[in-house]
Amino acid sequence: MDPLIVRVAFAVLATTGIGVVIYGLLWLTMPVAAPGEEPAPGRVELGPGTGRRQLLILVALGIAASVAIGKIIQTGGALLLPLILVAAGLAVVWRQLDADRTLSVPGVRWALAGGVVLAAGGVVLLLATTGQLANARNGFAATLVILIGVVLVTAPIWRRLLDSRGEERAARIRSEERAAVAAHLHDSVLQTLALIQRHADDQQAVSRLARGQERELRAWLYDPKVVREGGTWAGLVAGMVADVEADHALIVDPVVVGDAPVDEELAALGAATREALVNAAKHSGATAADLYTEVTPERVAVFVRDRGKGFDPATVPDDRRGLRDSVTGRLTRLGGTADVRSAPGEGTEVELVLPRSAA
Amino acid sequence: MSGPRVFVVDDHAMVRAGVRAELGADVTFVGEAPDVPTAIEGIRATLPDVVLLDVHLPGGGGRAVLETLRAELPEVRWLALSVSDAAEDVIAVIRAGAKGYVTKTISGPDLLDAVRRVADGDVVFSPRLAGFVLDAFAAGAPAAPAEEEATDPGLDLLSAREREVMQLLARGYTYREIGQRLFISVKTVESHASNVLRKLQLSNRNELTRWAATNRLL
Repeated sequence: MDPLIVRVAFAVLATTGIGVVIYGLLWLTMPVAAPGEEPAPGRVELGPGTGRRQLLILVALGIAASVAIGKIIQTGGALLLPLILVAAGLAVVWRQLDADRTLSVPGVRWALAGGVVLAAGGVVLLLATTGQLANARNGFAATLVILIGVVLVTAPIWRRLLDSRGEERAARIRSEERAAVAAHLHDSVLQTLALIQRHADDQQAVSRLARGQERELRAWLYDPKVVREGGTWAGLVAGMVADVEADHALIVDPVVVGDAPVDEELAALGAATREALVNAAKHSGATAADLYTEVTPERVAVFVRDRGKGFDPATVPDDRRGLRDSVTGRLTRLGGTADVRSAPGEGTEVELVLPRSAA
Repeated sequence: MSGPRVFVVDDHAMVRAGVRAELGADVTFVGEAPDVPTAIEGIRATLPDVVLLDVHLPGGGGRAVLETLRAELPEVRWLALSVSDAAEDVIAVIRAGAKGYVTKTISGPDLLDAVRRVADGDVVFSPRLAGFVLDAFAAGAPAAPAEEEATDPGLDLLSAREREVMQLLARGYTYREIGQRLFISVKTVESHASNVLRKLQLSNRNELTRWAATNRLL
């Protein structure tokens, strides 16, 4: 149902008085939907702890109240203002205490104080108009004394209640955390261990699985959020290394010095770096490569070094364009440089330098 | 059995066994310990050349062992071993006097090389430790205000050569390759590395601790 229709209907009903009562009852008994949660259609549930009998009593009370209000309005208008004040104050207080709001938000506290003042003002006004103020004062003093006495006597119980509530909360948080850790370990580490058992004779697969899992677990345990979420050069490099290691039999040890947010040019440099790593994985024959990247205000430099078989850069045939096009070409277009140092048997080092335009 | 006399401190029996198996006949194992008190006792009794020290140990960590024994046994050299510890802990052990650190996934020959190097009084920089030094001693970063006792301001800066050496280390070069590349002797590369490690240990640059607190080293 469209909430607007409900609201209009209640506004109309409220003029007769009965609408207010129904609204109040529904407010008391309907469960509060979490924000963003779609209410289940056709299913009306009573809030916890509200029995059918209680509901009947409330309905009777509400009808009595509306009848009384009607009488009061008929007999004398003088009582109307104080009653409205009390009702408004109560409504504000209830509204604030409802729906699990925390008292730590200052706005809620002020609203609560305002509601209490409003209701108290209404009560005083009500007593004053009916001439009962003096009597009420005596009664109020006595009640206050008794209340204070009761609070003092039962203070230890209140304290214990508060304490045990805190403890319960801590225990719940602990067990939730434990469950989250268990879930994560199950999804990652246990799965990987199962895979490793299945691939026990394939040494390369085992070491790749172990390596990938190690990285994932480490990132989960130690990495600052920024790196995990990406958006910076260090995050981009970490993700790229993980991808390359997963796709190729190459272990990469990345060292990142400095960091910067990723823009278009850095993304291009990342693509070129990936190409250099993939090249090392495919052609060098080495099982490991070092990746060092340094971000300074003037430039971003990347060094990819492997200790594989190396090659003579002068003898690369023209049809092997991987390095030349996707690495050198890309960098030159951005105003950077790409340098490949290699000799047969000496391994290869690719150096990519990109000046930072923003600096 | 020959080579440097090595003592292994690690709370995992598997790691101790693995290290023994990998170093094997090339070093002399004089003992091992799984926690801080046994380590202190054992090292006092055996006086090894090199202690392989786990960063994370029950009873105070590798740092506790180092701090207890360093002044007492200045001739013992320390090499930190670590798996996935926070940079803070690794840096703390190095600042407490370790000559370098290696990961537990290091290959057998590399570990042997590191142990020999440390036994000879040199330092061991992994690419990552070199990266850390470059980051923490970055040119633009502010140095700690020198309000306390007059510290040598040189401690807070790397020389151009030291920076070059660290960059090549971070790029995965060995000392020998760095020497060839920079046209200097391996001994000179080693002395640059030792100087940098000394700066890392003695500098009171704010950056060091701040960086270590927010990053991991492995």
